[in-house]
Amino acid sequence: MSLLRRLLGTPEGAVGTVILCLLVLAALLAPVLFPADPLSIVGPALVPPFTDPSLPLGTDRLGRDVLAGLMHGAGTSLAVGIAAAAMAMIAGSLVGTLAGLAGGLVDEALMRVVDAFQIVPSFLLALAFVSVTGASLPVVITAIALGAWTGPARLARAEVLSIRERDYVAAARVLGMRPLEIAFREVLPNALPPVMALSSVIVAISVLTEAALSFLGLGDPNIVTWGSMIAQGRNVLRSAPFLSILPGIALMLTVLGVYLFSEGLADALARRRSRA
Amino acid sequence: MPNILLTRRRLLQTTAVLLASMAMPTGGLAQEGGRLVVAADSEPKNLNPAIAASNGVFFIASKVIEPLAEASFDGADGLAPRLATSWEGSDDGLSVTFKLREGVTWHDGKPFTSADVAFSAMNVWKPLQNLGRLVFANLESVETPDDLTAVFKFSKPTPFQLIRNALPVVTSVVAKHIFEGSADIAADPANNQLVGTGPFKLAEYKPGEYYRLTRNDGYWGEGEPKLSEIVFRVLPDRAAAASALEADEIQLAAFSQVPLSDLERISKVDGIKVYSEGYEALTYQLVVEINHRRKELADLKVRQAMAHAIDKDFVVNTIFLGYAKASTGIVPRDAKEFYTPDTEQYPFDVAKANALLDEAGYAKDANGVRFTLKLLPAPFFSETRQFGDYLRQALAAIGINAEIANNDAGAHLKAVYTDHDFDISVGSPVFRGDPAISTTILVKSGTPDGVFFSNQGGFANASLDALIDKANETVDVAARTDLFKDFQKQVSEQLPLINVAEWGFITVARTSVKNVSNNPRWAVSNWADTELES
Repeated sequence: MSLLRRLLGTPEGAVGTVILCLLVLAALLAPVLFPADPLSIVGPALVPPFTDPSLPLGTDRLGRDVLAGLMHGAGTSLAVGIAAAAMAMIAGSLVGTLAGLAGGLVDEALMRVVDAFQIVPSFLLALAFVSVTGASLPVVITAIALGAWTGPARLARAEVLSIRERDYVAAARVLGMRPLEIAFREVLPNALPPVMALSSVIVAISVLTEAALSFLGLGDPNIVTWGSMIAQGRNVLRSAPFLSILPGIALMLTVLGVYLFSEGLADALARRRSRA
Repeated sequence: MPNILLTRRRLLQTTAVLLASMAMPTGGLAQEGGRLVVAADSEPKNLNPAIAASNGVFFIASKVIEPLAEASFDGADGLAPRLATSWEGSDDGLSVTFKLREGVTWHDGKPFTSADVAFSAMNVWKPLQNLGRLVFANLESVETPDDLTAVFKFSKPTPFQLIRNALPVVTSVVAKHIFEGSADIAADPANNQLVGTGPFKLAEYKPGEYYRLTRNDGYWGEGEPKLSEIVFRVLPDRAAAASALEADEIQLAAFSQVPLSDLERISKVDGIKVYSEGYEALTYQLVVEINHRRKELADLKVRQAMAHAIDKDFVVNTIFLGYAKASTGIVPRDAKEFYTPDTEQYPFDVAKANALLDEAGYAKDANGVRFTLKLLPAPFFSETRQFGDYLRQALAAIGINAEIANNDAGAHLKAVYTDHDFDISVGSPVFRGDPAISTTILVKSGTPDGVFFSNQGGFANASLDALIDKANETVDVAARTDLFKDFQKQVSEQLPLINVAEWGFITVARTSVKNVSNNPRWAVSNWADTELES
């Protein structure tokens, strides 16, 4: 509770939290307010925003409701961002913990795998993965996670290397706990907090990567995403710029919100620690 | 000795750099006649139009390699002579005689003769070319009584009407001395280092940047070409073409490179003109290709329901912004010689479509879905993709869930025409002057897998096949035309595919470019008379 108060106490934290709450709200309300497929054609094409009360943000090139697209797109963006980040965090910390604890050959082998993934620019990796396997939501999420898990893995390994020399780990060993038990019950929980700090950055990057993939036509074409809205609006950029600008603003706000939230959270955590 | 070598290499390197810098297309160079910079949106893998008779190839290669005759607005039979000066078919349909132009030379200086025509026909058009395979299926031999006469001999009667209509598209002549002895002509590197007889020579190709064509000083046309250079700048980004035109970085964008939605605005800009003519002989058709291997789609009622579900007016007015016409059948209105409006029509009627599907026995489930289809929109045009988005919605209204899968061009062609990994796809075949060239193939059965823009949906109808075969052997023009009218009626009844709209492209050019769109295949003709006013 006090953590939340401290989070809201910093200006970054407050703004970030408000933006994220609004986004979550939009995503949750989308199926209620716009139960139909957001890609369905509901009116004449290219209605400008704020001219028709039933279509407040206007329609796109085919007559699809821009507001419905934006709200459903919020859900897609958040889902992809959170799922990809979760996947990357889990995979990364598991690999990092194993490598750190096992040491020796296993460590070498795992870290070289991490290196191999880190060498390839993560966006290129996602691009290649999606174009080979075909675009659908789970594939896009996996593709993004594929490029993002190396950061958590390296960080987790570094933490584990320091933690495993601590006394309580030695004590656990003396008590006769099995290595895997030590790894996941004693070491991992203590190595996690700094790794968690990475998560919001990964969420923000994932949202951007997903948008970039859809912009290039590599997203799932059967669901609405901000990236694909921008890409389609680009064809009429000169005559109807709002079609690209509105989802662009939504995207910017999301990434900004996630960053501010993580800044605020880091601040709040730091202050708690210094007080303690 | 090593020292000398080294210096010589140095010297060569320096000279090469110098030469390269001189050859770079810079502003001040080509004064006389001027340099026309054109937007190009694709870089074909095989640039030889004798093998790949497609508009993407013709757009660049037609300036270098010429056909026997070109389409024309006012010439006899809609043709203007190019490498042939006259053509005549025998009454029995077994031979066609071409008189060839005198004094034509290849870009490398060798004379052009009937041997080149015979070689092209027997070794390239007939065995290798996507369209020539059909048109010249019964070509037995080409006799060359003298250097300027080529007599095509057919084993079975071949309608002269077809040969005549096909001339601009299928008869790009390549040089015998370049390809003779090549083990595999289709894979020969010479296909991308074109040597032709056309008004321009292919000087340079920088992948991803530009194709540079320079004036052929030895061109047979008097006072032609008027331009000294044409540069095709690769601009895959369609939105960029309009701004490049406005900035006068390019002077011409053909094939609707400027998006339709930008035309109204750009037509009002000073110094820019919009042409909707010049594509009459290459009408594109927006069609829904159907995989008849799916049991639901093999049912005529389902196909009829799908046809009723599509609002053609919406497609024409919203997707094409009026720059298209609703189709009434498989032959477009522009083909006046063959077109008949007297075919079965499927007006937009969602209730009727739903009734037809109920009748066919495909009831809606709890979610209102009858069955799910895999929809592959061709990525070739933004309109085909947009129509894919529209089609998904139109089919949703009658309880068919069409799931879109996007592919790049190569993957789309493979999925549809080789692997048959689709249920319905949005296609854009071209009508090329005669139904037998690229239209009957959309319906006829028995085409091997992997032939692009052909019937790969597994549709087979014996009476349509027989009708097509008969038309291919009917020499009499009136009788053959009647057969094709019957063909249109039967296709509309059977619905092997659904024709939605037909469109020609738009050319946008600076007003300084003269003689634009002056023939029905202008964008893919040789541009010998195109001028640039300074």
